[in-house]
Amino acid sequence: MIENSFNRRGFLKVLGWGGATVALSGCGNTSVEDGKEFVTSYVQTADYIIPSIGTYFNSTCAQCNAGCGIMGRVREGRVLKLEGNPKSPINNGKMCGLGQAGVQAHYNPDRIREPLLRNGDKGEAITWEKALALINEKVGGVKAENVAFLTGGVSGHVKALLKNYLDALGSGHHYVYEAVAPSVVRVANKKAYGVEMPRLRLDKAKVIVSFGADFLGAWISPVHFSQQYARFRKADKGERGVLVQVESKMTLTGANADRWLAIRPGTEGILALGLINALAAAGRSVPGDVVAAVKEYTVDRVSKDTGVSAEHIGKLAALLKERSPSLIIAGSAVEGYAHGSQNATAIALLNQVLGNVGKTVEAPSSVPFPQMAPTPGNRFALQALNDNMAQDKVKVLFSYGANPVFTAPASMKLKENLKKVPFKVAFAHYMDETAVEADLVLPLNSALEDWATAMPEYIAEGAQLSIQQPLMEKLYPGTLGMGDILLALLKQRRPDEYKGYEDFYSYLRSAMVSIKGVLGGANEDDDTFWDTALSRGVVKLVGAPVNISSNASAKGLVVPAPFVEDSAYPLHLIPAVSASMRDGRNANEPWLQESPDPLTTIVWDSWVEMHPKTAAKLGIVEGDIVEVASKSGAIKAQVYVFTGIHPDVISVPLGYGHEAMGRYAKGVGVNAFKILDPIFDKETGELAMHETRVKVTKAGQRVVIVKDEGPAGGNQMGRKIAVRMSSSKVNLSEEV
Amino acid sequence: MYYFLRLSVLLVGLIVSAGSYAVNEVQPLTTADDLGPKVEQPIEFPHDRHAGDAAKGGMQINCMYCHTYARRSMVAGIPPLQKCIGCHQSIESVRETPRIKKLFEYWEAKKAVPWKKVHDLPDFVRFNHERHIQRFVFAQNKPVQEACGYCHGDVKTMTVARRQKPLSMGWCVSCHQKDHPVDATSTKTTHGPNDCWQCHK
Repeated sequence: MIENSFNRRGFLKVLGWGGATVALSGCGNTSVEDGKEFVTSYVQTADYIIPSIGTYFNSTCAQCNAGCGIMGRVREGRVLKLEGNPKSPINNGKMCGLGQAGVQAHYNPDRIREPLLRNGDKGEAITWEKALALINEKVGGVKAENVAFLTGGVSGHVKALLKNYLDALGSGHHYVYEAVAPSVVRVANKKAYGVEMPRLRLDKAKVIVSFGADFLGAWISPVHFSQQYARFRKADKGERGVLVQVESKMTLTGANADRWLAIRPGTEGILALGLINALAAAGRSVPGDVVAAVKEYTVDRVSKDTGVSAEHIGKLAALLKERSPSLIIAGSAVEGYAHGSQNATAIALLNQVLGNVGKTVEAPSSVPFPQMAPTPGNRFALQALNDNMAQDKVKVLFSYGANPVFTAPASMKLKENLKKVPFKVAFAHYMDETAVEADLVLPLNSALEDWATAMPEYIAEGAQLSIQQPLMEKLYPGTLGMGDILLALLKQRRPDEYKGYEDFYSYLRSAMVSIKGVLGGANEDDDTFWDTALSRGVVKLVGAPVNISSNASAKGLVVPAPFVEDSAYPLHLIPAVSASMRDGRNANEPWLQESPDPLTTIVWDSWVEMHPKTAAKLGIVEGDIVEVASKSGAIKAQVYVFTGIHPDVISVPLGYGHEAMGRYAKGVGVNAFKILDPIFDKETGELAMHETRVKVTKAGQRVVIVKDEGPAGGNQMGRKIAVRMSSSKVNLSEEV
Repeated sequence: MYYFLRLSVLLVGLIVSAGSYAVNEVQPLTTADDLGPKVEQPIEFPHDRHAGDAAKGGMQINCMYCHTYARRSMVAGIPPLQKCIGCHQSIESVRETPRIKKLFEYWEAKKAVPWKKVHDLPDFVRFNHERHIQRFVFAQNKPVQEACGYCHGDVKTMTVARRQKPLSMGWCVSCHQKDHPVDATSTKTTHGPNDCWQCHK
């Protein structure tokens, strides 16, 4: 140690003065960075593009099938934020959370960037020329009937090109598959009204009775229905609309209802017939054959079968009698059973009897261009494809807009049957479960980079053609739009017909311009018409009038008695469809995983919703990990105790449990699709999603659930913060 | 001995801190008083040739012909390559010179020129060109070169741009407080250009 007279005090003084002077002299210093970052401008740009000022372009959302219009804010060549397109009559400038996450689908780090060819277990990058040549070779080497195309719902010019390609091949095997779709209700509607998707006027109704239709959440066109619902609640003249929701598991719409009736699963049709009976008894004019068909559905019998009290049935009937027009909606809860068609038919009949057809159940506009009209998907299509694959009838399979390896129940053994197909091509954005099984994976442009036209299945106001245009240049040079791929494939088969089109954009533009006369552009030159169409994002179509039938008839109505209980599998499983997750197609968008479920507020995981009585019986508390086992399989998830569910029912959300598809989807939650039992609607053959019976056993682990609502949750822990009143003390028909 | 160490540290510190305040005084606005480093650019763009006086062989092009967004955006903007090519595609006399050939290489490849940013403020500062140009050029009718020169110096004497002013907060504030000085008795201390939120949103 050095001998020093430099003591600690002196040291501190030097330190202090030194520090002070540095601090004082800092005021004049600058932290400008000279020459470190790049400032890159454009090569070529339009006059109206000004750096730091956003330009807005219209397009169409592709996150679900509703087809809302979006408006993207683009700055310095990048799309930053999406909002709704005010010119689209579907959403009138509004947007849902799923739509907002569209930017995450676009900028997702897990997007496939170039074509991949299978080599053993790996995918090797190849050029598009090689990929398309390989397809040509494979398709040319098999019989036309052995080529199959599996897609989701398709419409617009991409559908037209797809159909043309299949025609060019000589194959008619186009399977249009949607895992979550109102397919049974479509058939029942067609039988009852003559149209598959009537236009529902929620805004014109005075009372809405929804049988499990989550129209504010995830059902068909939620943004549009929400806007109608707002007008329904805030009626200009007089009465505010009353919403009654009848379902076995509470949905977001159910949480908004004035009265929520928990019904025994599968008995919705019985309740509908009971209401018809009660209305006939109360003096409503009902056709004779209908009266005869419903006469045994007395209030007592219906109450016994459904579990809804006689008092509530009476109040509901009184409400429907007093307030007109009403609207009865049949949702996914109704159609999820082996007798789903019967349930839906009974509910359509209730609408007929109430005289709602023509008032709140209207004929939709027709679509003038059938080759572009939407082809909606159903679950039966996948079963048909699966059967053909099992019999070695499929030699080349294309899949686009569908992920059946994830959404097919395990009992279908889809993965094994897929292995029998010698050559599988997947058009995909991510390496999802189906792409992982494919032999050739072709990367698609995201919805914000692509050209297309679309027509949604649910026609909100009039028929319209929604335009999808790129909101920025492709992020990755190796992706292609579906339209461009189909055009390239068509040029292989029909070169003379398509050689005039350099790319899908030029095909689309010339196709649109050639029909500009009926699209409202008869007096405009081509450029003005096209620019106006792109600027608006939506082109209105004029269709022929459509007839809707209001004949109430009980023909063919056979609603079965309620379930026989199964002691081995005592609980009913309802696989829930949430607004964000749906069938799991958007699970790799972290905003959607982060958005709490509206009812349970749970994030980034699956859960099992269970009634407190059921939980008490099984000795289960919140956070217990349980095994949910059906005859077809088992999954394990955390329990969330919730009063918004029938005591005989548990519910697990769909869309979680991916094994591939990206870093935000893989390994998050469990896949409820897998354990669904192979039970089908008797009339349509659709998979009956709510027929699965399960047993629940504790797995021996308990976790703290990650949710937004905090540990007390919906349970007020004895503090009377929001006071509840027993519903027997509330007389709805007197109140409102 | 340590007594002298302490004394010298103290004296040096006092002189440096006193000297730093000198920087905060209002300087004549068109001379270089804090020269930034030379920044190398992919093409040595001659501002003197383009914006310079005719007597010196320049073409006296208005700053905002190329830096066109200065009057309508927060950034003045580097011109798109299209702007350079717009004139140079017709100027035969310099078409084969090295710099112009390099320019056309970028154009053929449709590749943007990767310029280095010379006046780069930190991310927590939001400087808005539009407000300054609208005030000095359009409201006060100052000549464009003078207005741009307040902060960027006499660019028409340079080839590639080189920072001429400190661009520190103290330096900006000195101009903001020229007409609206703030002292201990001021009641309106956060007003207009002296408002924190104007630049630190």
